[in-house]
Formats: sequence, structure tokens, C-alpha cells
Amino acid sequence: MVSIKLDNVSLVYKLHEKLTLSAPDRRLGPTGGRIEGSGRKQFVQALDGVGFELKAGDRLGLVGPNGAGKTTLLKVLYGIYEPSGGNITIEGRVDALFNINIGFRREATGRRNIVLRGLINGWSEAEIEEKMEDIIAFSELGDFIDLPFKAYSQGMAARLAFSVATALEPEILLMDEWIGAGDASFQEKAKRRMDELAEKAGIIVLASHSEGLIQSVCTKRLTLKGGRVESLTAVPVRSAEAALASP
Amino acid sequence: MISALNGAFDDIFRAMKLRRVWIALAHEDIGDQHRRTTLGPLWLLVNYLAFAGTFVFVFQPAGKDAAGYAAYVAIGLMVWFYLMEVISLSVPLFKREESFIEGTTLPLFVYVMRLTIQSAIRAGYAVVGCVIILLISGPSLTPAWLWSLAGLLLILLTTPALITVFAFTGAFFPDSEFIVGNLMRVGMFFTPVFWVYNGQDAIQTYAYLWNPFTYFLDVARTPILIGEFPSNAFAVTGITALVMWAIALLLLGKYRRQVVFLI
Ligand SMILES: Nc1ncnc2c1ncn2[C@@H]1O[C@H](COP(=O)(O)OP(=O)(O)O)[C@@H](O)[C@H]1O
Ligand SMILES: [Mg+2]
Repeated sequence: MVSIKLDNVSLVYKLHEKLTLSAPDRRLGPTGGRIEGSGRKQFVQALDGVGFELKAGDRLGLVGPNGAGKTTLLKVLYGIYEPSGGNITIEGRVDALFNINIGFRREATGRRNIVLRGLINGWSEAEIEEKMEDIIAFSELGDFIDLPFKAYSQGMAARLAFSVATALEPEILLMDEWIGAGDASFQEKAKRRMDELAEKAGIIVLASHSEGLIQSVCTKRLTLKGGRVESLTAVPVRSAEAALASP
Repeated sequence: MISALNGAFDDIFRAMKLRRVWIALAHEDIGDQHRRTTLGPLWLLVNYLAFAGTFVFVFQPAGKDAAGYAAYVAIGLMVWFYLMEVISLSVPLFKREESFIEGTTLPLFVYVMRLTIQSAIRAGYAVVGCVIILLISGPSLTPAWLWSLAGLLLILLTTPALITVFAFTGAFFPDSEFIVGNLMRVGMFFTPVFWVYNGQDAIQTYAYLWNPFTYFLDVARTPILIGEFPSNAFAVTGITALVMWAIALLLLGKYRRQVVFLI
């Protein structure tokens, strides 16, 4: 059964942890978020006592101001960051889209990049082979697929990244404010694919500043502020057309 | 300690299952470095031959030692350049892989192996150059050459450990990039790469005896030049390899989850 359970999870970024010969106060802390401590022992409390539970079919929208901890939370869910405290239990195959360009090589063609991405995601050669044409078709990149990646626009890169990430039908899909890069028709298509994914009893967690996107995709909304959960509410159901029409 | 080792083996085990990732990435790396050039990676061979040729030409002693010296320099430079490249590229390794480390959950050992393969491929061109020089300058092919091959294999097996240790050093201590860079540049003069040790002055004796690189060079060089098995060099190199692997496993086990916060 696909599920996510977080219990009192916290994450601290320590600054000045590295040994360096430079004067301690030359390296500056971040401007947003919660900075604590002083001198050599500064740290940012990026997540603080975060707890929630998601079950199959849930689509969670993460909202909150810049520096609230959305990206950090997604990376904790993906397993990139080990939390400084608390417990996480995740059941299901997780895939994530953080930075569109990660794992893409500028000099390689789109087709070659699909292979590389697939390998990085741990797919077998047969799975890559099998999904290749689907991915190319879904991305609508046409003949561009055989041009080097550096010739792609950001939107085209986003199409390719999304097509690859969702091709193997991950049970849990994490996404960080990137989807705006695609054009309206692709966003509509991406939304449909996310619907399918959730209907197959998957979980989606999506960080976004776009109210329209949250309302059209998500069933729950988690508001973060200064690393704490401010609220976890249900998103009222709206038709996709109405949601996309509003900003 | 035990849990650190378990963690390290888990990382290595997962990386081995993803071996097609690092093999593919290493090939892309080599391809990218030489894209748009006419000779492609053959430049590596040309570079090596130009360098070795210069040394032979400038430092070659007169008389009957001449041929032996060409072989001495050819093998010495091949191993030295390999080690120098491996070490100087390892220190900033995790920084260089930042976007992958912060965006994927690939085990760290994947990056270690990516660099290992990349360096081994590049060294392959130097090996070809070295064999060309050996064939021209003429030490005769003997079964002892197999010991040299074993020596190179030993160096290759030590490489992932070296990379891991230096990569963690670079992540924890950013200044080390410049310290190591300088040491490696100076190191060429303190290591018998192109000068021959014959018990001269004190400094040379220390640089010869107390320098682990001496033994790394000797395992590949002595069998071909002298025709015998350098047991001393193999012992020192083997022990160095074991120590490096032990440190590497501990670092990987204890600190692999911290790296993402350090880069
Ligand atoms: N690598 C880092 N080192 C130190 N602080 C960081 C790092 N990444 C994020 N932070 C801090 O953690 C807090 C949460 O950041 P983030 O999760 O990126 O917020 P959001 O995605 O909601 O804008 C911010 O205060 C930010 O400054
Ligand atoms: Mg963010």
C-alpha cells in the first residue's frame, strides 16, 4: 500500500560546519527563513516538528512563502536529506522532479538523455527501450528529440523531464515549482497524467505558488511557515477549466 | 564501526547495481571533453608522447643508459600523470557533482566510480603511448612484464579508495583543493618520476624512501626495467592500498549522508 507518514520531522542546515582557513564571519548566512545561533555555530531551522500522513490517491499541494521549507521537505521525502530529528515512513516507488536540468547533458541528444535519465532512475535497458517512443510522443518534441539538449528551450526541457519522470508510473511523485515552464497545452496534458497517476492509487506532492495549479491538481493543501506546519486542509473540488482560467 | 561498514557496503553495493550509470556517464565525460576536436581523445596520446618525448630528450643521460632512461621516464610519467589526475580531480569531486547530489539519491560511490572509469580510459591512451616508447627504445619483452601489469592492476584497484578519501577531504576542508594542487605540482620533483635515485644526497634519499608514490611507480617500472619482482614496492603499495580502503570505507559509512549538507 502506498503511503507517506511523517512524525515530528525536523531539519537543520548548519552553517560554518566546514573547516576553512578563511575568517569565520566572511561567509554569510541566508537572508530568509529562521537563522539561529551566532558566530561559527549558525544554523537554519528549515523544518520544525513537521508531521502528516498521506495515503493512496492523495494529492498534496505544498504552499508557503519563499524560505518556508517546501523544497527542503520534498528533498527529505525523496531521501536526499536525512532529517535531523523525527521519523519518516514511506511505502512506494518515489520519483521526483526538482531541477529540470539535473541529469541532462547539454551536448547529448534528447534521445540519449532519456537513456541516461532512465539509467539514473534505475530502469533496466528493456524498460528504457520499451518506454522510449511513449516518452518522445508524450513530450511532443518531434524531430528535436535528435538534437542536442542545449538546443532546447526551458519549456521543452520541462516537457522532456516530466515525460521521463512519469513514464514508469511512479507510485509517489514529488514536484517542486517547476511545471510553470511548460505552455498551457502541456500543463493540461501534464495535469491529466497526474490525475491518472493518482487514480492508480499513487501519491503526488507538489510545491507551487500557483493557486490555479494547486486547485486543479491537489486534494489537500499543506501550508508551511518558517518550517512549521501552519495548516493542513482539504482543497474544495473545482473543475479543471475553471481552475486553469483563474491565475 | 560495524554500522559504518554496513553503510559503506550498502552504498557500494547499490552503486554496483547502477554500474551502467557510471559507465555511461564516464563515456559521456570523455566524449564531451573532446567534442568538436579533430583528433578527439587521441589528443591524450599526443599529449603524453609530447611530454615523455621532451623529458627523454632533455634529461637523457649519454651512453649506454640512454635506452633504459626512455623506458624509465615513459612508465614513470604514465603512472605519475594518472595518480596526479586522479587525486586532483577527486578533491573537488563532490562539489562538481553538486547538482546530482542535491537532486538525486544516487549512492556517492557512483561518482567515485564515474571518476575511476574516466581516469582509467584516459590513462589507456597513455598506456598505448608508453608501449610505443617501450617498443622503440627496446627493453626486451620478458615474462616479468606481467608483474608490471599486476602492478598497474594494483594501482587501479586502489583508485576508488584514493578518490573516496580525497573527495571527502575536499568536502570537509575546502582549502585542501589548493593545498593538494600545490603538493601534486611540487610532488613531481620529490618523486623519482624523471630523476633516477642512486643514493646521492639526503633530500633525495628521503624523497625516495619516504614517499609512497615511489613505490606506486616502482611496481609498474621495476619489472620491465630490471626484470625482477619488486617485493618491497609491492608490499608498500599493497599496504597503502589496504589502509586507503579502510579509511575510505569508514568515511563513506560515517559521513555519506552529511556530504549533501557540506557542498
Ligand atoms: N543548502 C542550504 N544551506 C543552508 N540553508 C538552506 C539551504 N537550503 C535551504 N536553506 C534554508 O532553509 C529554509 C527553507 O528553504 P527552502 O526549503 O528552499 O524553502 P522554499 O522551497 O519553501 O522556498 C530557508 O530559510 C533557506 O534559507
Ligand atoms: Mg523552493
